Amino acid sequence: METSSQAAPAVPTDGAFAKLCLIFSFLALPLALLLFAQWPLRELLQAYSRQANDLGQILFAFYVAVAITAASRNHAHLASSKPIHQRTHRPHWHAWAVLACTAPWAAFMLWAAWPLVAASVVSFEKFGETLTPGYFLIKLAMVLMVLLVLIDGLVQLMPPQRPGTKTP
Amino acid sequence: MNITGNMAGLWMLLALGTLILTTGLPVWALLIGIASLFAAAGLATGAVDINILQALPVRTTGLLENDLLQAMPLYVFMGVLLQRVTVADALYASLLRVFRPLGGSHALAALGVGAQIAPTNGSVASSSALLSRLVAPRVAHLGAAQAISIVSVAATIGVVVPPSLVLLLLGDAMLMAHLEASKLPGYLQTGQRIINTQDVMHAALLPALCVLLLWALVAWWKTRNLKEIRPVAPVSRAQAAIALIAGSAIVLLLAGVFTGKLFAVEAAATGGVLLVISTLASRSLSFADWKAVCGDTLQLSGALFALLVGATTFSLVFRLFGTDRWINGQLLGSTLPPLATAALVLLLVGLCAWVLDAFEMIFVVIPLVAPVLIARLGDAQQAAVLMLLILQLSFLIPPMGYAVLMARARSGLPAIPNRSLLKALWPMLLVQVSVTAVVFALPQTVHWLDAPAAVSTGAPTLSDDEITRQMEEMSKASPADDDSVNAEKK
Repeated sequence: METSSQAAPAVPTDGAFAKLCLIFSFLALPLALLLFAQWPLRELLQAYSRQANDLGQILFAFYVAVAITAASRNHAHLASSKPIHQRTHRPHWHAWAVLACTAPWAAFMLWAAWPLVAASVVSFEKFGETLTPGYFLIKLAMVLMVLLVLIDGLVQLMPPQRPGTKTP
Repeated sequence: MNITGNMAGLWMLLALGTLILTTGLPVWALLIGIASLFAAAGLATGAVDINILQALPVRTTGLLENDLLQAMPLYVFMGVLLQRVTVADALYASLLRVFRPLGGSHALAALGVGAQIAPTNGSVASSSALLSRLVAPRVAHLGAAQAISIVSVAATIGVVVPPSLVLLLLGDAMLMAHLEASKLPGYLQTGQRIINTQDVMHAALLPALCVLLLWALVAWWKTRNLKEIRPVAPVSRAQAAIALIAGSAIVLLLAGVFTGKLFAVEAAATGGVLLVISTLASRSLSFADWKAVCGDTLQLSGALFALLVGATTFSLVFRLFGTDRWINGQLLGSTLPPLATAALVLLLVGLCAWVLDAFEMIFVVIPLVAPVLIARLGDAQQAAVLMLLILQLSFLIPPMGYAVLMARARSGLPAIPNRSLLKALWPMLLVQVSVTAVVFALPQTVHWLDAPAAVSTGAPTLSDDEITRQMEEMSKASPADDDSVNAEKK
């Protein structure tokens, strides 16, 4: 099995996705900082360690929510090993197959999660242990993840633009 | 044949394996697609309860709020960053200088870098990419077979040396597996508290050091008389300083983890922050480089997390059909002696790991077989270490072993037949098999470095928190809740 990061060029129509991925990619830095900060906060300051963890959870949730689609768009997902030159141009049926695999799941997830997420957002649900505000954001991140998977699956069905074609 | 009966999960696995190998589709999508198809069939025939299936969003949210998984992007980030900065180069150059009087210095330095870098790297793939760039050109003079074997074995060191991501995630999987095993009939170690990641790290360290030292001995023996190419430039003072600081920091962080002063995740985060600070201070990366590092980290983290989401969906449907209980029943009801059953399970794990990578193993296969292995061996730490060693062994067996596959693809070395590669690798494989056999035969070898409370020999003395946590876990009686991820992670 092999990852194929950067195996394929970006599709020109995905400006919005590219910007979204770029912005969220930098969340890795504050996430690392928050994970690190928990140690001195706990050992030295003896306070705010759990709050740092809560904030880290929110960042992590949104980070991976976007990361799955970023991996899809760059063909970085684990797949059976094939030489790189075979992986740069994937057959169009792959896009249909991935959509067939993920769309029913995404639709079910949205249907099943809706009451939970709606109740959480309406009540501005807090983290259970610390009562830090913002737990509902984690549930929203789950919805974002599923929506992005669904939308990207549909976008991937569109034929790629030829080089030189203007992007909107 | 009823495909929605107890054995439905086996059909799911068969379909998954077939489609992975024949279609080249992303594994996470296949996991979700096959689970969805079987769930739909189960709903249609009444074999699956929609109310339990509705637990899926809750489980997925559980992944997003998992403390341990927060470390995943961090490990990936460090792996990607290490490929672009000169820390590993400085370590390699310095170790080369240290080992030069012994002969075989390139092979020893490669293993040394692997040992220092791999535990902080994201995966075997990351380590392999780094070592292929750094080490492969410098050991090419030893012959392609030797060079690939050295890169391959060095890339797998992170599988067993803490606090690697593989080890952390396996520790988490073992915690869940131990809880399940404790509910199985015939489970004997009722006095042993449920193990956690720290216990797995303690248990794995000594066997890991044995493997590493024996590999170093083999590498030195095989390359000691071969002509060595001297480095083009001597080690500069800056390189020596970087190597000293980086090496000391890694050793201190490992010591912090081992003595319990630091959680593994915090140690990794400290290493990551130090790496970022040193990279910023040295101005060795441009903004475009940082963008590329963060972009690659996002993609690779997404690939790993997608696999976890897929495996969570797959395992829920698998369990809804009761296939996990069916497998447990078959293995536990076997007339074979317990150790023979355990050996059979390990063989199965080894075969799966030969064609799958570490994360697929940890998320899909190990949760299914680990409870039985623990029940048959009667020792969760021994089971965890054996699985780590078996994973490492399988990754090194050509032609399908993951580490070998990656080293061949990325090292840029000439293609060689499997027989030549096997000839170069066999002493390393023999070491691995020997250490695995010793751990299998002598369970006490994984307990020599136990923390004082890791294994209780008499009545369990649990803290209030531990009792509460275990009771919460035990109360999750439905199969849908068996592999919940919300237990203690660190």
